[in-house]
Amino acid sequence: MKALQREMPESPKVGISESEERALSRRTFLKVGVGGGLLVAIAGKWMPFSEAMAQVQSDYALIIDLNKCTGCGACTEACNQRNNLPEGVSYIHRIEKGSELDGGCWCLPVQCQHCQDAPCETVCPASATYHHPSGVVLVNEKTCVGCKYCAIACPYEARVYNEETGVVGKCWLCLDLVLGGGRPACVDACIPGARIFGRRDDPEIAELLNSGRAQPLHPEFGTKPGVVYYIFRENGAHAG
Amino acid sequence: MTEHYWGWLVAIYLFLGGMGAGAFLIAAVIELSGKRYEQEYCPTTLVGAGVSGPLIVIGTVLLIFDLGAGLREPWRIVNMFTNWSSVMTWGIWILSFFIPIAFVYGVLEVMHVYPGILEWLRRWLRFLPETLPYRAIKRVVCSIGILLALGTALYTGVLLSVVQAVPLWSTPILPVLFLISAVSTGMALSLDLSATVMVPETPHRFKRLPVIHIALIGLEIIVLAVFFYISFQKGGEAAESVQLILTGAGSLIFWVMVAGLGLVFPLVLNVYALLRGSHGHVVGILAGAAIVVAGLFVRYLIVAAAIPVTV
Repeated sequence: MKALQREMPESPKVGISESEERALSRRTFLKVGVGGGLLVAIAGKWMPFSEAMAQVQSDYALIIDLNKCTGCGACTEACNQRNNLPEGVSYIHRIEKGSELDGGCWCLPVQCQHCQDAPCETVCPASATYHHPSGVVLVNEKTCVGCKYCAIACPYEARVYNEETGVVGKCWLCLDLVLGGGRPACVDACIPGARIFGRRDDPEIAELLNSGRAQPLHPEFGTKPGVVYYIFRENGAHAG
Repeated sequence: MTEHYWGWLVAIYLFLGGMGAGAFLIAAVIELSGKRYEQEYCPTTLVGAGVSGPLIVIGTVLLIFDLGAGLREPWRIVNMFTNWSSVMTWGIWILSFFIPIAFVYGVLEVMHVYPGILEWLRRWLRFLPETLPYRAIKRVVCSIGILLALGTALYTGVLLSVVQAVPLWSTPILPVLFLISAVSTGMALSLDLSATVMVPETPHRFKRLPVIHIALIGLEIIVLAVFFYISFQKGGEAAESVQLILTGAGSLIFWVMVAGLGLVFPLVLNVYALLRGSHGHVVGILAGAAIVVAGLFVRYLIVAAAIPVTV
């Protein structure tokens, strides 16, 4: 039991009061959590990513199914509009992967992974990068000095310098919408429905995460990506 | 060259910071060892002490231009003192102690060499004594300053070496390389250039200077080679970066400005000086200038050849 408790994430803290919803979902959360914890405990030996995932404490998960992503760029477009970004600045960038030889080209959309051990937060001299209690990594645009150290330290290249504001911004998971019960703009905009978003204690999300199908991007960077997960392509093409 | 996010401005800052710290180190060692007082006039401590503060300030100002908030809301810079887990914060703290110390040392040294300054000051500030215990004060200033100068030279390397997302940088050998380069550029500035430019009529009095230079250049060649070898062995982006420097877009700068001008040329000149038994002015000026210029290009190459990990 001790081992199980260690595997179970602590109950997440959130800035808004939603105690009723929480009380309802706690039971499911516990069930899934214990089940998932067991699964992780057993599977830990041969699932290299599960340990990193079990340590992550965040309320939300954004799962991108790369089998469905067509690389249309609707997410980027919606994000740019939502954040009023100037030409040439995007919080979501597309990386072309694969070739005709190994099962065709495909796209890997990358944005801030909201790492638990975020290198950008560590290196930010101005303490402008910080973790919201929900686990989402945010940038205080009034504190950022624009030194770009974060942009260099982020192995996902998710930090982008905005010449107009002098601030190094990034995806903030549209936290205003999310805390209000909505979804990030990129999720709503995704035409092929490749983006699945929800609370971690949502049974559907928890099942996906615990099944090991949805995995963090490059866990070997040691960053413990906390929110964004990928369902990698079935034809064996793995990112990186 | 890739130059993602950081480029020339940061390279110049790293170079000036290193050279300023190096010049301070050399001057402080000569001061503390007492060699400063073997002759009436010591251009090395005068230049080393006088120049290190201004050099670092120039570098820091350049860095401020590179900041997004630098010209928009410069007061935000105070935020940069706040994150103790960031090497940049360490650097800013080190600099904010080192810059005043370097200036105090510079002013003391200049006043020591030119006593007329104090006399002139006493015309208005009558409470000032006729003379100051320069040597005692400088002893304290140099002792503290040496640690801060070492910190400055090392942190510029650590700043890059903690970045795991750039495999070329993430090796502990980078701070070592930067420290060696800081000492050799600082030495070239305060020993070779200063002494030969400022005292043209006297032959160089540091007979062992060529030996020290040859040793430093040798050490730099070894450290550079180890750095490239380690990076190449890592494979991936680190190896790509090395290829970029040695055979790619950076190869002209590397072979001409760094290997040729910064290593082989001063090495040959110093061997010649050693064999001739004296360190003449021409050798001093040429070798010194070459080492200084090459120091800048080393920083630039390492900053600009930073290929990030593949996502």
